[in-house]
Amino acid sequence: MFKKFRKKSPWILHYNAGSCNGCDIEILACLSPKYDLERFGVINTGNPKQSDVFLVTGPVTYRSRSRIMELYSQIPEPKVVVAVGSCACTGGVFRGMYNVEDGVDRYIPVDVYIAGCASSPELIMDGIVKALEILETKGEKLEKN
Amino acid sequence: MIEILFFLIAPFVGGLIYGLERVVRARMQRRIGPPILQPFYDMFKLIQKEPFIVNQYHIIFGIFHFITLWIVVGMLIFGGNLLYVVFIHLFSTIFIILAGYSTKSIYSHIGSNRELLSILAYEPILILIASGFYLINGSFEISAIRESSHYLQTMPLLFLAMLLIVPIKLKKSPFDATEAHQEIVGGVEVEYSGVFFEFLYMAKWIEYIFIYMLVFLFAGDNIILGIVLCLIVFILVNLVDNATARVKINHLVKIALIIGLVLSVLNIFGIVYV
Repeated sequence: MFKKFRKKSPWILHYNAGSCNGCDIEILACLSPKYDLERFGVINTGNPKQSDVFLVTGPVTYRSRSRIMELYSQIPEPKVVVAVGSCACTGGVFRGMYNVEDGVDRYIPVDVYIAGCASSPELIMDGIVKALEILETKGEKLEKN
Repeated sequence: MIEILFFLIAPFVGGLIYGLERVVRARMQRRIGPPILQPFYDMFKLIQKEPFIVNQYHIIFGIFHFITLWIVVGMLIFGGNLLYVVFIHLFSTIFIILAGYSTKSIYSHIGSNRELLSILAYEPILILIASGFYLINGSFEISAIRESSHYLQTMPLLFLAMLLIVPIKLKKSPFDATEAHQEIVGGVEVEYSGVFFEFLYMAKWIEYIFIYMLVFLFAGDNIILGIVLCLIVFILVNLVDNATARVKINHLVKIALIIGLVLSVLNIFGIVYV
């Protein structure tokens, strides 16, 4: 009955897994008056237990991999993971370094990859809107099981 | 009949106020903002999310917080005793503090500590407002308070003190240190998820109804003046929320007690001796 409301209120959790802060600034720019992600109902909660969309930036450093998995497991179902920026997608310029794990998808399943160094706010918004569709299908699958 | 109806839909009216507030705040920042029904979309989403239960007491206290707040609003609507309203409201806040202490999360504990300190800040002023109404009417009964003419002439300083505690109760800047989303991730509500967070979310809506009905009491029997007062408070609170930064919790207590308590005590002395 209330299925269609699921994608109307995505609360995002934003985690910096060793990013250079470039993508983080662009994510915050999305929430600022010019781009205004809040018009889709987005709230930047900062609390994994109340969020639906997990935005990860950075190439996942050695120290942050346990935290990223802990945060992922604390988000209640249904949830989607969005990798923001080249580093989060593939490791970017840090690929192959000894202290870096080459992207988020080595540890948690990623639904949407957003390219760019740093990703532009338009791309991030596009990616989040795409993630909402995936969120809806995931929710439907969850109900069938 | 209309009172029963309003009592039943009170949380949803509060949700509408909250949605309107988010739109107004967005327009003040020259944003488009979420739709007015956004809190209800959030509600339906939260109901469908998977709930994580930390422990039973945490959940039960959260639900009791919501129920007691609804009872408080019911007492305000049906015309109970104003002093009881203030104390049962305190009771509901104590539930949420106990819920905060029942988990092991330090953010939850810090949130509870700050909630206790904010009670220290606003509770004396609420009680003095109730006693101000008593001194003028000779009764704490809300139906009696609503029958006489407006109180802005007799209780102007108490109304100013009320304005000071509205942001504390609604968790607005500059007095939002109890919730402090960027700093302690929401304080007491940090461990709630899914449908159980929904109760806290709805309790927040009822808090809006509670505060605006208290503001409404200052208008006495003049309904139009009451609506105007509520609108002024609504705009003012959001303007201040957008324009100011957060103060620390100890400064919150100091500001509320020094300014608010002095204003209210002066007003009480004025009612008694002038």
